[in-house]
Amino acid sequence: MKGQGGVSGVGWRCLEAATGLLAPPEREVVLGDLAEMDRGAWRGLGDVLGLAARRQLALWRSWRPWAASFGLTLPASLFLMGWSVAASGAVASLLGEPAQARLLWLSLSRLFLVVSWAWMAGFVVGAVSRGTLWASVLGCCAPCAYCLSEWPEHGLSGLRLLIFVLPGLWGVWRGRRDLQLGLGWAVFFAATATLAPLLWGKSGCWLLWPGWYLAATARRKQE
Amino acid sequence: MVGEFEYLILSAAAHLAEEAYGAAMREVIETTGGRTCSLGALYTTLDRLEAKGLVETWMSAPTQLRGGRAKRMVRVTGEGTRAAREFYQAVIRISRGTAWGESRHNRVPADTA
Repeated sequence: MKGQGGVSGVGWRCLEAATGLLAPPEREVVLGDLAEMDRGAWRGLGDVLGLAARRQLALWRSWRPWAASFGLTLPASLFLMGWSVAASGAVASLLGEPAQARLLWLSLSRLFLVVSWAWMAGFVVGAVSRGTLWASVLGCCAPCAYCLSEWPEHGLSGLRLLIFVLPGLWGVWRGRRDLQLGLGWAVFFAATATLAPLLWGKSGCWLLWPGWYLAATARRKQE
Repeated sequence: MVGEFEYLILSAAAHLAEEAYGAAMREVIETTGGRTCSLGALYTTLDRLEAKGLVETWMSAPTQLRGGRAKRMVRVTGEGTRAAREFYQAVIRISRGTAWGESRHNRVPADTA
């Protein structure tokens, strides 16, 4: 067998790890080709990284990763940070004071809106840019890390940020797996997205697009 | 019309016929074509050719030679054959009368015209 000598050692282990950047079927094909050609693990590593880079570049020719990372994740993480702080602040004040129906309604509705909007945004990011999720993760982490380091005294604790990060991650996971929502859920989230800027009293048409995207791509029942 | 590298891939796949797959095509392009061929260039170009309908690809059964891994087999379609022929004829036509073309002895030298 031609390839037997080259398929062991540190270089080959690095190469196998690098093939994790490729889709599973392509990973098998590439590893097989490299084992058969036996040109050395380091040259093979260059081949794998080159292929992975070309695959990434090809993905970025589409609108999807741009929309997911710059059109949604980056502004949404800034926006949701503010919402999370406001919602958690409202809930905290509610716990410290005698219950008032109006305050209770406002706090719970804001909390619900943060969680559902974060889940919806995460779902859209996961469904729209499965291959470039790393860019969306960067688009979310960078503003969070910046705000946490710059304004720790403004009540921006990691715990408060979790209010949107956890449902967002859950949404990403479901979006990557399912790609589409059922029509009922999609309409629900589109309504939530429409309500969000109204309830917060702020303009923000971009807040609507994830909900409308879900409604437009929703899974209809088979005829 | 196909590009130069696409033409090399179509030609390599046609040469190898039933045995056309990534590693074998790379070997043919490098040894016969005389140019380096990275796996990245090979597979992304194959994807493009497949999207244009010029080749068909499928996964073979795993083989022992490759550590129990499958091959991505390639077959040139009728459309691919036409596209490769068109490229080849264009190269032949444009090369006629050049210093490296087949009919260079028929050219009238500029200083004797």
